[in-house]
Amino acid sequence: MSLLKIENLSATVGGKKVLNGVSLTVNAGEVHAIMGPNGSGKSTLSYVLAGRPGYEITGGSVQFEGRDLAALAPEDRARAGLFLGFQYPVEIPGVNNVYLLKAAMNAKRKAAGEPEVDAYEFLQLVRGKMKLMQMDESFLSRGVNEGFSGGEKKRNEILQMLVLEPKLAVLDETDSGLEIDALKVVARGVNSLRSRERGVLLITHYQRLLDHVVPDQVHVLARGRIARSGDKSLALELEKRGYDWVLEVA
Amino acid sequence: MPALPAPALPTNRDENWRYANLRPLARARPEPVASDDHAGGLELPPPLPGHERWVFVDGRFNALLSTPAPHSCASLLSARAAGQAFDDMLDAALASEGVDFSLARLNGARGDQVLQIAPADGASAALELTFIASGAASAGTSYPRVQVHAGRGAHLHIVERHVSAGQSDSAVNACFDVALRADAVLDHSRLQNCSATAACFDTLTAHVGERATYRLRSVALGGVSSRSTLMIRLAGRGARCEYTAASVAVGTQTHDVFAEIAHVAPETVTRELFRGIATGRGKLGFNGKMVVAASAPGADSEQSLKNLLTGSGAEAAVRPQLEIYTDRVRAVHGATTGKLDDQMLFYLLSRGIDRASAQALLQWAFIEDAVSRVDCAGLREEAETLIAARLNDVSALGNVTGALKASP
Repeated sequence: MSLLKIENLSATVGGKKVLNGVSLTVNAGEVHAIMGPNGSGKSTLSYVLAGRPGYEITGGSVQFEGRDLAALAPEDRARAGLFLGFQYPVEIPGVNNVYLLKAAMNAKRKAAGEPEVDAYEFLQLVRGKMKLMQMDESFLSRGVNEGFSGGEKKRNEILQMLVLEPKLAVLDETDSGLEIDALKVVARGVNSLRSRERGVLLITHYQRLLDHVVPDQVHVLARGRIARSGDKSLALELEKRGYDWVLEVA
Repeated sequence: MPALPAPALPTNRDENWRYANLRPLARARPEPVASDDHAGGLELPPPLPGHERWVFVDGRFNALLSTPAPHSCASLLSARAAGQAFDDMLDAALASEGVDFSLARLNGARGDQVLQIAPADGASAALELTFIASGAASAGTSYPRVQVHAGRGAHLHIVERHVSAGQSDSAVNACFDVALRADAVLDHSRLQNCSATAACFDTLTAHVGERATYRLRSVALGGVSSRSTLMIRLAGRGARCEYTAASVAVGTQTHDVFAEIAHVAPETVTRELFRGIATGRGKLGFNGKMVVAASAPGADSEQSLKNLLTGSGAEAAVRPQLEIYTDRVRAVHGATTGKLDDQMLFYLLSRGIDRASAQALLQWAFIEDAVSRVDCAGLREEAETLIAARLNDVSALGNVTGALKASP
């Protein structure tokens, strides 16, 4: 059974059709990259998968481990093992990072019928992941993303992903706005999650992230549908020839 | 004491009382509640470390429940001994167009005991004042009154707590008058947690002298109707006022505040912050009037007023008012009323947190912005526990409060 199976998916945002027949299958152990010009529907796809209100599925289907994703509330999707790394992580003053991490982890464990995480083990785990992400421990007691720089917010997304160990991570332009060292740190985080059981959907504008997180497949999203798919060499070709080439062929 | 004509209660026709719910007070018997030495079975919170405790039942001092310090700077005076000083001060210095002090005058006319706190120059003291309302409104109204006169450079910590014995529908009309001489500091933390059927009205006046600082942190949770009327006058050069208020109105509660802060001397500073949550059919009003007189060049005033509405029946009105009569002034003012932020909510949901907990967490974070500023740790934790119990998901918030306080 595939991890994620999207078939002929159409979706609207505020009544406007953005996705127009997307089909895509991600199997466990695979990393897929989705590239495409601005306005092609990349972020919409990520929000539709995570269940953001206002992003309506109007046709087709999305199966996550064989379950109809549309029937699940956003929180249930997360507990089932779907993670969205936001392009613009929101700041939540007054709710500190360590609480969010712990509450999220316990919500997932509760759904799986497991006991709450031991406080000591939890902190050991989080500290280890923070070290990998080169984040100072002082971030834990700060409000969620409050006053973080763009790069710090992206690292924080990856930190949450590493702590929650999702089956499928959808990372929406996690690389945008990162300088090269930060990009490498983020890539290291993503690579550390790769395993035979997990899948990653990387949404990106640029080929440079794919130098560090090498995808199994690359798809080009254009005008709300997958216009072309290929292996990692497709990303290099896009870098050279631009998106117009795909749009012309499509 | 000569019989004074009883002043009339304010009405909602008065612009500054438009959002107050005056009915519970109007229905109460105006005579003082008969003296009662028992506290009606109320279990008092544990004493705050380092604070002398003064407990009042229905406006009268209760020696059994109190532990004043041996040489306390506080003492009890009869209303007669406290004299006309306050009324005179109202008339001469504090009266401001549109500010109605009729409740304070009623307190002066009806109350018979005044707690006077008067630390000498350079002295310091910490007092916990707890006012228990035990009588029913049909039996009368209680008239607590406190007067603070802090000497030069004195430093006072005052915790003021208003609670009910049981579920009594008491009527309270309290007065708190503050005069700080040069360089004095008053840290004043107040918590109003009367029963959900009580009427809790108070009038606070403050006269802040040269370089003196008045920090007022107020949390209003109880009462079917509560109203605070504040008139703070920054009267000496460099006087400073930090005023933070938090309010949670649930069910059919109405919480209203009128706060006038007048800068009348140069280089005076105000930091005002209000955070209110109205849920169910709760109503919140906050009217923050800031006056900068021509005699106050170099004044610096910041005001941040925010209301959060949850539920379709809740109402809120925040009204920042600004009157400036000098050019040399810095004034930053913001006021909003809104609902929970959809993006924040979705972010929490996307991390697997259930909707009720996510909503409670965001409400908590919102009100904590104000409550976290309560200086007295004991009272702050008391308020936080009470707020957690008032917001939607009590069990989830139990975890929330614990986790928010836990350091990593």
